[in-house]
Amino acid sequence: MNRRREIDLGLGILDHQLVDVGGRRCGKVDDLELEGVADGPPTVSAILCGPPAWQGRGRLGRLAARLARGRLVRVPWTEVEEVKAGVELRRTARELRLGAGDERARSLIEWIPGAGG
Amino acid sequence: MKNLLGVALGILAAIGGFVDIGDLVFNVQAGATFGYRLLWVVPVGVVGIIVYSEMCGRVAAVAERSVFDAIRERLGFSVGLGALVASQIVNFMTLAAEVGGLAIALQLLAGLEFHLLAAVAVLALGVVIWVLPFEWIERLFGYMGLCLLVFAVAAIKLHPDWSAVAEGFVPRTPPSDVLVYGYFVVGLLGAALTPYEVYFYSSGGIEEGWTPKDLGLNRANAIIGYALGGFLSLALMITAGALFLPNGIDPELLGTVALGAEVPLGTVGLVLALIGITFAVGGAAIDTCFSGAYNLAQFFGWEWGKNRPPATAPRFTIAWIVLLILALLVTMTGIDPVMLTEYAVIFSVVALPLTYLPLLLVANDRAYMGQHTNGRVANAFGFVYFVVILVVALTAIPLMVLTNQGQG
Repeated sequence: MNRRREIDLGLGILDHQLVDVGGRRCGKVDDLELEGVADGPPTVSAILCGPPAWQGRGRLGRLAARLARGRLVRVPWTEVEEVKAGVELRRTARELRLGAGDERARSLIEWIPGAGG
Repeated sequence: MKNLLGVALGILAAIGGFVDIGDLVFNVQAGATFGYRLLWVVPVGVVGIIVYSEMCGRVAAVAERSVFDAIRERLGFSVGLGALVASQIVNFMTLAAEVGGLAIALQLLAGLEFHLLAAVAVLALGVVIWVLPFEWIERLFGYMGLCLLVFAVAAIKLHPDWSAVAEGFVPRTPPSDVLVYGYFVVGLLGAALTPYEVYFYSSGGIEEGWTPKDLGLNRANAIIGYALGGFLSLALMITAGALFLPNGIDPELLGTVALGAEVPLGTVGLVLALIGITFAVGGAAIDTCFSGAYNLAQFFGWEWGKNRPPATAPRFTIAWIVLLILALLVTMTGIDPVMLTEYAVIFSVVALPLTYLPLLLVANDRAYMGQHTNGRVANAFGFVYFVVILVVALTAIPLMVLTNQGQG
């Protein structure tokens, strides 16, 4: 994020779509990690993605976190290129360990003729 | 010129794609119960779906957000998940009802065994989705659905009392049973305001890469497509009012709907009606099936899209395949699709405010929409319809229970 622009973290970042450098959708901003809350103005240090991050997202979030499988992925804020319609990242989903669910699911259907890709 | 032709063809497909099993069931039952007295509800519902669709199409074109992107961003994870679960339940009930209706229409056409036809129909839908590009699917089902225009001919041939028809467009206090009348008002609004069409429409806009340049197209599509589609709903209700009410026929079976075309037009009318129902309901099955997959993928941030190889959006692809198979299993239990439709429409009305309000908020948010926020007209309609939707949502279940689903 080079340009100076005010963003409301709650409405402008949280729950937004993550998009990797190749334009692939690879999860949502499930939670944010803040640093320096005790001393001075806090900064966003990382985006948290994956079912364990739903834990802190209200009653249904806690329930969903307990039911769903999947790891917590921490994406350092330095990996964020730009915030547009989605939060655009500097590297591929695979490098950041995002979108693992889609990669697992892929093997279930790629044998079907015409699945392509 | 080519562009104009494209728009015209798209609109034709939209007309054929407007009617689904909810419209078939509620318009025909309303006509059979109250004659032409409920005709006024159809334009009210059609304007509502135009307002909602135009807004979602605009959010897709300008903010590049689908419906469930916007819902999650506005409502947060927890409340958003509640909206997702409610929408998915209603959407799945609708899908199962469409698949059941498809099997019944095919059974009336082909006369083969119901379970066999249901399985063949779902397999055919799966293959069509897998093999054909989006545009072709839309056109194939849309054009063939235009066979439903046979009901417009039937309505005229039945020589309805046109002055009574005209009076039906003015709301009046009902003759006797106020609660049953209210139940049908709610049902007709719910049948017109089908949320899956909106999810599908806005996701399609994002897949086609709409930009603010496409806002005119969005408006034309929404207004003309739905308005002309509503014309088919009116034809169904007039046919039922002219034929079923005087003869005391209660259209509890889907096949009875086709009777409305057979009596005035003979076998040709019957066959056209059944072909129209087959494709209208089959197309709606595809739309609902995709809407379910779109909603899940957009809420959880999975890759999605029909215009990409299926293996590049794996969870999305698996989602629609699983939904289709589950709908077949529900159909196989022999559950009555007409009853399932009534529940689906009434529950969808109850869940509607949860998905409508976040979109209304986003469409008014400059951070998302820049100069394309709701104008004065869009906002007036937007908020009036929010109130209508709230009232309808709050009264839907009490009316359903009190009237025993419109049986009085």
